[in-house]
Amino acid sequence: MDQSPLRAPVEHGKKLRWLLLGTFGGMLLLMSVAGIDALRSLRRLHQVSHEVAKRYSAHNQALQTVLVCFHVYDQGMEQYLLADVFVASGPQRVMIASRGSEVLTAIHDYPRDSGNEEQSLVTQIDQAVQAEESAFDNTQAWSSGERKRRAYLFVEEKILPTRTHVMALASAISRLNDQRLAAENDAVATEFLGLQTRLSRLVVTTLLAGLVLSLAAGYYILRLEQNGRRRFLALERSRQELESLSQRLVEVQEAERLSISRELHDEVGQTLGALLVDLGQLSNLVPAGDTLVKDQIARIKTAGESAVRSIRDMALLLRPPMLDDLGLVPALEWQARETSRRSDMEVDVHADEMPANLPDQVKTGIYRLVQEALQNAATHAHAKTAKVSVQYNPQRVEVEISDDGIGFQPDRTRGMGILGMEERVRQLGGSFDLQSGPGKGTTVHAVLPLSTAKDAI
Amino acid sequence: MRRTRILLADDHQLMRSGVRLMLEREPDLTVVGEAADGREAVALAKSLKPEVVVMDIGMPNLNGIEAALQMTQESPELAIVMVSMHSDESYVLRALKAGARGYLLKDSAEADLIKAVHAVAGGKSFFSPAVSKLLLDDYVRKLKRSGTEDAYDLLTPREREILQLIAEGKSNKDIANLLNLSVYTVESHRSNLMEKLNLRGLPELILYAVRRGIIA
Repeated sequence: MDQSPLRAPVEHGKKLRWLLLGTFGGMLLLMSVAGIDALRSLRRLHQVSHEVAKRYSAHNQALQTVLVCFHVYDQGMEQYLLADVFVASGPQRVMIASRGSEVLTAIHDYPRDSGNEEQSLVTQIDQAVQAEESAFDNTQAWSSGERKRRAYLFVEEKILPTRTHVMALASAISRLNDQRLAAENDAVATEFLGLQTRLSRLVVTTLLAGLVLSLAAGYYILRLEQNGRRRFLALERSRQELESLSQRLVEVQEAERLSISRELHDEVGQTLGALLVDLGQLSNLVPAGDTLVKDQIARIKTAGESAVRSIRDMALLLRPPMLDDLGLVPALEWQARETSRRSDMEVDVHADEMPANLPDQVKTGIYRLVQEALQNAATHAHAKTAKVSVQYNPQRVEVEISDDGIGFQPDRTRGMGILGMEERVRQLGGSFDLQSGPGKGTTVHAVLPLSTAKDAI
Repeated sequence: MRRTRILLADDHQLMRSGVRLMLEREPDLTVVGEAADGREAVALAKSLKPEVVVMDIGMPNLNGIEAALQMTQESPELAIVMVSMHSDESYVLRALKAGARGYLLKDSAEADLIKAVHAVAGGKSFFSPAVSKLLLDDYVRKLKRSGTEDAYDLLTPREREILQLIAEGKSNKDIANLLNLSVYTVESHRSNLMEKLNLRGLPELILYAVRRGIIA
């Protein structure tokens, strides 16, 4: 597999990841900024509207105070002037004067934080009251006769118009107050509307960003998934390729061994055999006295016999013909004897009879497994005895090779031979188990299923 | 003079012609047919009715051991000499089980063939000296390494005598006549010695005899 399509998405994915992170962070920032802003605006609006209401009621109350004081003063003045029992310059007059100053104080206390129009109206009230006061002061000098004569006139010409005038001014002020309240309320409402607009804009922005983000995230995840699947498939394919390759290797190796073995055994071996027979006959044809020729022939025969022997040994090693001629068990017994002959290790075989139609792969697999295990036991483990057991039932064949050699640590050392055994067993769909330990000998155990092995053929 | 009729079975033309030449030089032997594979050999054995079959083990279509099995099922008296490249017990035992009476190694065929044919034609067994030696070596080595006793030492002289006669191809009746015993007594000796030696059947007994050097 070339690597570039696998590496490129990684770079791409990195960029995309940063982009996603940025968008997500931005969205969060936007939301928090907007939230804080909205809270602040709301608090301010609340404060403003509170102040507006407070000012409005302060103005109203001040105006009421002025009016009440004026009313009391005005009424007092009227009653005094029109009283039937006249009490000249008594305490009543003093009381009226104090009421007048109360009115002026109330006017003076009227809040000064309003516009010029209102202030001028207040000033006008002030002037009207002062004018009335001074006019009332003048009545002090009146005699009782004068008083009886002029009191009604004074009330009619001075007090009533002033009263009307003050009332008109007060209602104008009240109107102004109302107008201002309405204007200020409008301002608050406008500001609230602005806040609402800002908030709804933010909601739309956030929703859009969220949409973009989820689309991007979806795309990214899809890509990741796709990449993952592609990589998994590639891995799976290469694993299968490797498996079939190694199986193919084993098959080719077996086939090659078989054909070389046959060639050596059947062709070269047989031809040499025939040659030896002919040599024997030739020797018989030579006159008995001709020892020179007879010796020569004997030497040729010896050389030929040794050649036949080495060819036979080679052929046997490559692929024992008994595996094909006689079956698995005789081949295993031969292998055991052959190992016993060539090494210091005695091998015992206990094998169930096998059916003649045992699949060739299983037959060869078991044979090679035993061959490898015995080879290891004799050369590496220096074992004195080894046992081979083969148990057959229609579902599976169980093979066990155990020795009393020096053993080893299977989790540390695992030579090619053991890997090869494991691989062969795995290819046949079986299970492989090796147990050993220093000084404990070694046991190789394999179970080969027969049904799947048959299916594989 | 009546000549022993021989059938040759070998997939190699060279080998067959060499063996034929050798056999035909003997005045009392004649080759009546040649087969190139196991099936042909079985068919010819049926039609030509030879007394002796000299057959290679490694043959295409049907190997020599399978062919021998079919031939002896058809005619149990047929004397078969197996010719093989293999001296191993696996082959010898299976050849014996298939009914062969002689077992000859190819590389010594030239020297022993005539002897072998004469022996089996006379109802005896014959094994190449190299085969006997190998079987004996394996046996001795195994006894030595495992430290077990040779069961042969447990046999009585009479049993040893009978063991040899059986291995040489004599029937119970022949042995009874030869030793002046009843057939029943011979039978009982035979089963006793088989049990002592842990042998199952005549092929294993013959193999044992060859192994112990009782017969050649």
